[in-house]
This record gives sequence, C-alpha cells and structure tokens, in this order.
Amino acid sequence: MTHTHCPYCSLQCGMVLEGRRALEVQAWPEFPVNEGRLCRKGWTATGLRGHRERLTSPLVRDRDTGELRAVSWDEALDLVADRLSAIRDEHGADAVGVFGGGGLTNEKAYTLGKFARVVLGTSQVDYNGRWCMSSAASAANLAFGLDRGLPFPLADIEHTDVLVLVGSNLAETMPPAARHLDRLHENGGTVVVVDPRRTPTAERADLFVQPVPGTDLALALGVLHLLDAAGAVDEDYVAERTSGFAEVRGSLAAWWPERVERVTGVAAEQLRALCELLASADKVTVLTARGAEQHSTGTDTVLAWINVALALGMCGTPYAGYGCLTGQGNGQGGREHGQKADQLPGYRMIDDPQAREHVARVWGVEPGSLPGKGRSATELLDALGRPDGPRALLVLGSNPVVSAPNAHHVAERLAALDLLVVADVVMSETAARADVVLPVTQWAEETGTMTNLEGRVILREQAVEPPAGVRSDLELLAGLAERLGVRLESDPVAVFAELGRASAGGRADYAGIDHARIRAEHGVFWPCPAPDHPGTPRMFTDRFAHEDGRARFSVVEHRGADEQPDAAYPLHLTTGRVLAQYQSGAQTRRIAELADDGPFVELHPFLADRIGAHDGDPVVVTTRRGQLRAPARVVTTIRPDTLFVPFHWVGANLLTNDALDPTSRMPEFKACAAAVRT
Amino acid sequence: MRGGGADVRRLVVVGHGMAATRLVEELVALGSSDEITVVGDEPGPAYNRILLSAVLEGSHAEEALTLRDTGWYAGHGVRLVGGTRVDELDRAGRQVVLADGSRLPYDHLVLATGANPTLPPMRGLVRRDGRLHERVHAFRSLADCRRLLEALPAARRAVVVGGGLLGLQVARALSVRGVLVEVVEGGDHLLRSQVGPRAGSVLQRSLTRLGTAVYLGARGVRLTEAGVVLDNGYVLETDLVVITAGGRPAASLARRAGLTVRRGVVVDDHLTSPDDPRVHAIGDCAEHEGRVSGFVPPAWEQASILARRLAGHDVCYSGARSVVRLRASDLDVAVLGDPEHEPGEVVEIANPVAGSHRKLVVREGRVVAASLVGDLSQVGLLTQHFDRGTVLGPREPGSLLLPDRPAAPRAIPDDAEVCACAGVSAARIRSCRTVEDARRTTRAGTGCGGCADVVRQLVATTERHPV
Repeated sequence: MTHTHCPYCSLQCGMVLEGRRALEVQAWPEFPVNEGRLCRKGWTATGLRGHRERLTSPLVRDRDTGELRAVSWDEALDLVADRLSAIRDEHGADAVGVFGGGGLTNEKAYTLGKFARVVLGTSQVDYNGRWCMSSAASAANLAFGLDRGLPFPLADIEHTDVLVLVGSNLAETMPPAARHLDRLHENGGTVVVVDPRRTPTAERADLFVQPVPGTDLALALGVLHLLDAAGAVDEDYVAERTSGFAEVRGSLAAWWPERVERVTGVAAEQLRALCELLASADKVTVLTARGAEQHSTGTDTVLAWINVALALGMCGTPYAGYGCLTGQGNGQGGREHGQKADQLPGYRMIDDPQAREHVARVWGVEPGSLPGKGRSATELLDALGRPDGPRALLVLGSNPVVSAPNAHHVAERLAALDLLVVADVVMSETAARADVVLPVTQWAEETGTMTNLEGRVILREQAVEPPAGVRSDLELLAGLAERLGVRLESDPVAVFAELGRASAGGRADYAGIDHARIRAEHGVFWPCPAPDHPGTPRMFTDRFAHEDGRARFSVVEHRGADEQPDAAYPLHLTTGRVLAQYQSGAQTRRIAELADDGPFVELHPFLADRIGAHDGDPVVVTTRRGQLRAPARVVTTIRPDTLFVPFHWVGANLLTNDALDPTSRMPEFKACAAAVRT
Repeated sequence: MRGGGADVRRLVVVGHGMAATRLVEELVALGSSDEITVVGDEPGPAYNRILLSAVLEGSHAEEALTLRDTGWYAGHGVRLVGGTRVDELDRAGRQVVLADGSRLPYDHLVLATGANPTLPPMRGLVRRDGRLHERVHAFRSLADCRRLLEALPAARRAVVVGGGLLGLQVARALSVRGVLVEVVEGGDHLLRSQVGPRAGSVLQRSLTRLGTAVYLGARGVRLTEAGVVLDNGYVLETDLVVITAGGRPAASLARRAGLTVRRGVVVDDHLTSPDDPRVHAIGDCAEHEGRVSGFVPPAWEQASILARRLAGHDVCYSGARSVVRLRASDLDVAVLGDPEHEPGEVVEIANPVAGSHRKLVVREGRVVAASLVGDLSQVGLLTQHFDRGTVLGPREPGSLLLPDRPAAPRAIPDDAEVCACAGVSAARIRSCRTVEDARRTTRAGTGCGGCADVVRQLVATTERHPV
C-alpha cells in the first residue's frame, strides 16, 4: 500500500495505490486537499500500467528508411551525447535547446535546469508552464513581490463571503475542489463565475457573468470604477499596505458601466449587481485561471483583478484575497526550480548577481559560467532550426505538437531541427517526430516531490517497479551528463536535498523540507527555510514580499484580444478542457475507461441555425492559421458569438493564435477570430 | 517636460472636456513630441460629464468622475491652463487670445469646446443681470450639478423641462433623492430624438408608474412665483426648474474667426477645417458630414483619429457607430444607431403591459440600428452584433428578441451520464437502493458532488417504482 498523489492536475489529490502487479486506486480520506475524493481520471490513473502502447525501449530513427528502430540505452545515450557535442562544438552552446514541462517533479525540473546551464551551457531552456499560469505568475510578482499561486490553502475559500472565479471551470477541471463551493454556500457565501461559457462551475454560481472572450480586463476596470464611485475602497488598508492606488484611481473614470457593457457584452445592470455584492461583503476572494490568463493581455488582466482585491482590502487578510488556480500537476513547483528561461532554483532571477553566485556555489561552478536569460517557450520553438536558433532540442514531459499555439507552425519548426530527442511514457505526437525517443518511468514507478496549486510540497512515492527497459528522467539526464563529462545526481532523495540547498534564501525556499516531514504533515507549504520552521500555509499576513512590504497597484489599460473578429472570421474562438481528458491527452486518450470521443465544436443554437448545422453534424472551423473538422455540439450555454473547442486532441491548437503577452510571454490560447461552416 | 526646442510643434487645445482629455491621452500614448497646452474655462480637473446624473442621484462620489488630475498633466509635460476663457482666435497671427489678453502661439489648434445648454423661450428663466433665476438650473457642468445638489435639501418639487436622455436621467435622479418630479416635453413623445412614438409611450408609462408625471406637447411659457406656466394653461407648482432642452455646439469662437460654422464647426474626414489646415475640431462642437453628435463615443473616436493624424498617421474619420444608454434607475433604454431613420427591415416586439418595446432594424442580415426599452436582456449581445456588423441568419433577429423558453422537464434516459466525475450512467444509479449505496458501488457523487440532487432523485424514483 503506497500513499501517493494523482498524476494529473495541480490539485494533486491524495490516493492510495494497492497491489504489486495490478495496481488499484483507493481513497486516502485523511489527505486534506481532496479528502478521499477523486475524479474519473484519478480513479483510472493506473490504466497506462502494462498498456500495450507503453514505450519500453529507446528508439532511434534510421536515416535510410525513416523508421524508428529499437536500440539499447547505451547506444541511444551515446548517440545523443555525440550529436549534442558535435552541434555544440560547431554552432555554440545555444544551438542546443531544452524543453521541459509543468508535470515534471521538482527534482526533474531542477535537474533539467541544471543540465541545461551546467552540462550544456545553454541559455535556451524553457517549458510548457509558459502556456499555463505564467501570466498570473508575472502579475503576482509585480503586485506582491512573490508568486505562489494560492497564498492560502484552497479550503479557505469555504469561509469567504464572496468568491469570484474568473475564467475557471474547476468543477470539470479539478472536480474534487468543487465541494468547497457547496460548503461555501452552506456557510452562507456567494459564488460569482465569469466565463464566456455557462460551465458546470457556472451552474453552481449565484451570479454568472458571460463576457466576450478577451475582455475580462475591461470588466475588472468597470468593477473597480463602480466600487470606487460607491466609496467601497478600503482606504485604511490601501494607505497602510499598498502603493500606487492614486494612479489607478485616476485611470478609472473612463470605465463607467455602459462603456464596459459595450466592450464586454455584460449588461451594465449585471455589473452593478456584481459590485453591490462585492461592496457589501466583508471577505472577498478573487481566483483567476486560464480563461483570464491565456491572453496576450493576460498579465494585465490578472493585475486588474488583483487591483480589485487590493482596493477592497482583501489580500493578506483571513479567508480573502487573490489567488491563481494553477493548472498542471507541478505547475507551481515546475516554475520555481530553474527550467524557466529567466530563473534559477528557489524562484531566483537569472540576471540577479547574488542569485547566480548562490546557485553557482551549490553547483560547484563559476557564476560567470552560467548562461543568461534565454527565449520563452513559444519563442524558443519558433527559433528552432533558424540561423540563430537551436539546432537540437531535448523534450521532457511535454507534447508541444498538440499543446503549442499555432501548432502547424511548431511542427514545421521541429522538422527543421538537426536533432529532436523526446523522452516520454508513450509515443506522443511529438515523440513520433523525434530522431531519438527515450522511454521513461511514469508516476507510480518513481519517487519525487510536487508542489500543488497551494504551494504545498507533496510526495509521490514509488509504488511499483518500472517495466524493464525504462529509466527515470533523472537517470536519463545523469546518463547524458556523464557522457558529456559532468556528474549529476539521479537519486530523487539526494536531488531533493540539493534542491533544498539551491533554493535556500530564495523566494521559494524549500531548505527545511524533507520526505519525512511531508509524510507526517500532509505536505509542507513553502517558504520553509529551516527544519524547525512550520512552513507557510498563509502568506502576506503582515507584509508583502516587496522590499517596502507593500503590495503594488498597477495601472492597466484594456487592449483586447490581438486578433479581433472581422468579416472573414466573424466569431470568437476559445479553447479549454473536458473532464475525462488531461492536457495534450498523451496519457488520458490511451486509458480505456476514459471516453475518447475526439474533439468537438461547441456552438449556440442561434449560430448553428445561421450556418444550418444540427447537433452532431460535422462542421469546419477555420482561422488564419488552420482548420479543424469536428462534430457540432449545439448548446445554449455558450455565447452566440463564440466557438469552443477542447484542446486535448490535435486540432484546437492548429487554430489558436501565438501572439504573446509582452510580460509573461503567454500565447493567446483563449481568444482568436474564427469562422465556422458545415 | 516635453517640447522646448525652437523646432518643436506647438499644439493648443481649446477646451478641457472629455474629447480634449482623450486627445491628450492618445497623444501621450503615441509618444508625441509636441508642446501641448490645454486651455479650459472650468476650474479643476477634467471629469466624466456623462456620470453627472449619477452624482446627482448619489450613486457616484464626485471624485470618481475625475479623468486626469493636474498631476497627470504635469507628469507628462502637458501644460494645463484651467479656469481661463479663450476670447479670440487670431488665425493670421496663429495665436489664441485669452481673457486676460495674453496670447498663446500655435502651430496646430484643436477646438474641443463642447456644447452649451439651450434655454427654451420661457419668460422668467433669466434674471436681469443675465444669470439664471435662483430656482432655475442647467445640467451640463459639474458646477451645475453642485448647485443643484445644494438646492435639493430645500426642494420638494421639481419640473424638468425636456424629455430627452438628459431630462429623463435628471428626473429619475431627483426622484431617487425624494423630490416629486414632473417632466415637460414639447414633442409628442419622450426621447423623440432616439426612439419612435410607441417606444416613447412605453417609456412614459414606466415613468408614470415610478411617480413622475409627464406633460407631452406642452411648453413652459413663463416661470412665476406660482410655478411653471404651460401653454395649455396648467401651472406646475415647483421649487426647482431644471432645463435639459438640449445643447448647441459651442462654435462662436470659430465663427468669429471666420471659420465655416453651420450647426457646429465644420470639419472634413481629417477633422480639419476646410478653411484652415492648422485648425481642427472634435467632440460636441464639431460638425462632420452635416452631423453633430453630442455623445462620448464619437468624440473619443475623433480624438483618437486626430491624435494619430497629428502623429503623422494617414487615418480618416468616417463617422462612428453610436450606442446610447440611458443611465437612470429603473428605466432601461438602449439605442443603437438611429432606429427611426436607418433604412432596413424592422423586427419589433412590443409588450406595453410588461413595459417593454424592442425594435431591430435589419439590413442585409446585419442589425444596423435598434431601440430597446424596458428589456435589456440581450443588450450586450446585440451591441456586439451591431458594432461588429455580424451577418445573422434569417431567423436570428427574431430569436434574439424572444425569451429563452423554459426547458420542459424530461425523464433522464438510462444511458445518460449522470456523474461525470466517475462516469456513471442513470441506469447504474437506478439500480442502487440508496444514495449511500450509489456512492459506495459506483462512486457517483464522490468527485465534484454536482450530481447529488439527480442521484437522490433517481434513487427515490427507483424506490417508489421497483423495477
């Protein structure tokens, strides 16, 4: 019997695995985040164990036939190391790129960053977390001086008065979290959901606001305008704990309700109702998720909502404030330990001389040997195979052919590489294009820590032996490093201890956390700088992380989506998830118990009638970048000017726009101009 | 401080209202190197004029109207000359003459002087010294609003002269403040510049229900101690008279300077006077293609286009789509475009009993104009369709005006998925005896918990009708 956590989303639900060969999932009622609850993805998570599509041998593409053939690990690693060395020698260290993922354990994310900087000496390392919560991360850093998705345990939302969910469909994307909404209702609280679709989460809302995709920022400006006009700003709090409100206040007068209505499509009357609710509440919690964040204006959108929470005097007070519902399993930890182009372990910035010195000392290298800031994920992929871009790419824990925006373009860039190496559990769409495929362990076959959406560091323990022929990502990286002349740790316990030292003194300080504490305490919240430190479930109670201890307001302006509907592409397209699938679907689409019905196109009956489509008919969605043919799903729950396509299959991201947020480098997954026909 | 050098272009903006503020904001955002001076006759910072009725009503703090405070101008190197009237334009000398006789040289001049309220031909409104009678109020500026607010505590009754947008907003605001209000409108229905007679009468009914009497086709002829005397002989006893009989573009400066003025200062697609390439006009004072607007969205559109033109971009103004919203408690009105004059097919649903009247003007599948009175349930969507020129299907305009039909309760088919988290069908739950039984054997309800009610219902049905 092994106590561990689900392999999927950022909730990291606790579960118990039973059996040695046929693994069975059982409830772990004592683990507080999910209290024994799981969704069907969790219950069926062992479905890849012994799956016929499981990769169990390294594969190398034969130059003559183009076919992949099985080789030994030594042969594969020798080949990769030789090719990487040759490319580096000929074109420089930055000619090799590394691409990680927000599902990798902390130990892997840490080692991947170290591998890039120390073994390869490349600045070209980034990961798919840029496509997850990066806008919320940028905004939280600007506003609070520190980014921990939720600065409080998720269960705190049961005790707030008004909960505002902006662009979160948690009832479908993290179902066990939805019980908090029910308990909040039992406690007399109110739930507001802002989403272009009336989702199962919105069905539980007391107030549902349905704006035009890409206008959440204008909505927040309108909310703050009305709150200020009604005298609902907490002036004492603003004076004591924040800076910059005067400038924000001066930028609001142009956002009166009727103008907001024209921009957002949200009736002025509803905006007023929302503001009355917020103004009369003692405790307000605002949570954003991908719907608000995955925009070219994502950072500013989150900042606008943080402004609302700050003006109401909520951040850092009990059962109130702002938080981000991170998406990927280790979306939080994955961004803290150095697989991001501009960061070093402990959420240190790579251009900070003190940070470089500290990390270089832990790594036993000269600070000057560490490369500087590299390209962000989307820009890194765009640069592949170009004269000044990487010619080789190593991919761990990511499937960008499905998950990257403007995916057709990404596939073209991957094809332009001299060498693509992909490590995965199954033959993902990206692995299928690789020159070398390396089969790696999956979650129950290895040990590692994750940091869930609350900043709670948890432990996934090994439950079973991996199949023969498979190695862990850590062993893979250590094996390559050894061939390139550097010794890397591959034991997860030793790596976690090293990570603790590297993070010590940083913003995300793990120095006081070890496996025994995690087991005993049901996870430990960072920062936890010492073994006798209790960890930090609630942040900002006394001060924010900026030097002056204050939170910062930011003046933000509505710009709207990069691509606006026009005569040729008259509709908004937005994307998202369905309950039974996860991310690019590489795992969940292969699990028999999870229905794999393929993508679909959600549209309103008005729109269906306009183009003559009926429920179930195939329809074609086109954008400037690509096209998708899929069955229509005609529902009254979506805006009549908006299409929705789930992104777990190849298709949705052939359509999406890769315009980037200037700060977070987040692409605009959630809004672009599209057309639909039968 | 921007500007300063001899070769720097000097830009003088006359007027410090919403159009002028927007123009300066856009210029700053475009990184303009012009030396900008704004001359306004009102003291204090620029404010959002269209929210004055909200201040009167008490829902908005006055401070929340401030668009840009003086610090903002200083911070961006823009010179602001407040509380100062411009007396004359010296176009030959390219100078603006201020009330104190001082002169401001310009290379380009922007007139954003707005509009002045029109006084109806009613005796007794104006005192001998030319000021308004103490009971008479205009409602155009913040000063007007403050003066009216000061008069409120002593006022029991008010007469609003003019049944247009502003009149209705003021009437409702005063009602909310507990003043008994009567509205006098010379035309045959309310809001006659925006909506038709049927919509107007629905609106009148709503207003009457809210306790405000409306006199249509009536003109006040004089104000006496007894009250407002109407041309039909009625005398409306009152403590306050608020004049909201429309406005006239403030174009006298331009006229005296020899620029072409019809209703407003005439400008071309470049927002430039045909008489002088260095003189521009935007906002309520400007007349483009024979039209003066009086609303903020076109003024801002003009400000944005003129700013870009001044920054060297080749853009033109070709008119703006207007969406007019009445801002008044318990009166819901939205007018898109010009529904009374725009050609097209009309889709109309009137329900005077429920107090609603909605009309769409459709041409080539597009909603080209609309008026919505008493039911704004689709205003957000309609505005999007209107602004974006969306081509709708033939049944769509009608569908948009019909309410959502309540879905008939249907029996849940056996193969329907009831619990999405655990993937459990209705049949499997029907086979369970209790909710606890269903939880244990199927895990239904153990994920997000959203199906709890349905599970309870299905189990209960099974209990009553054993299969």
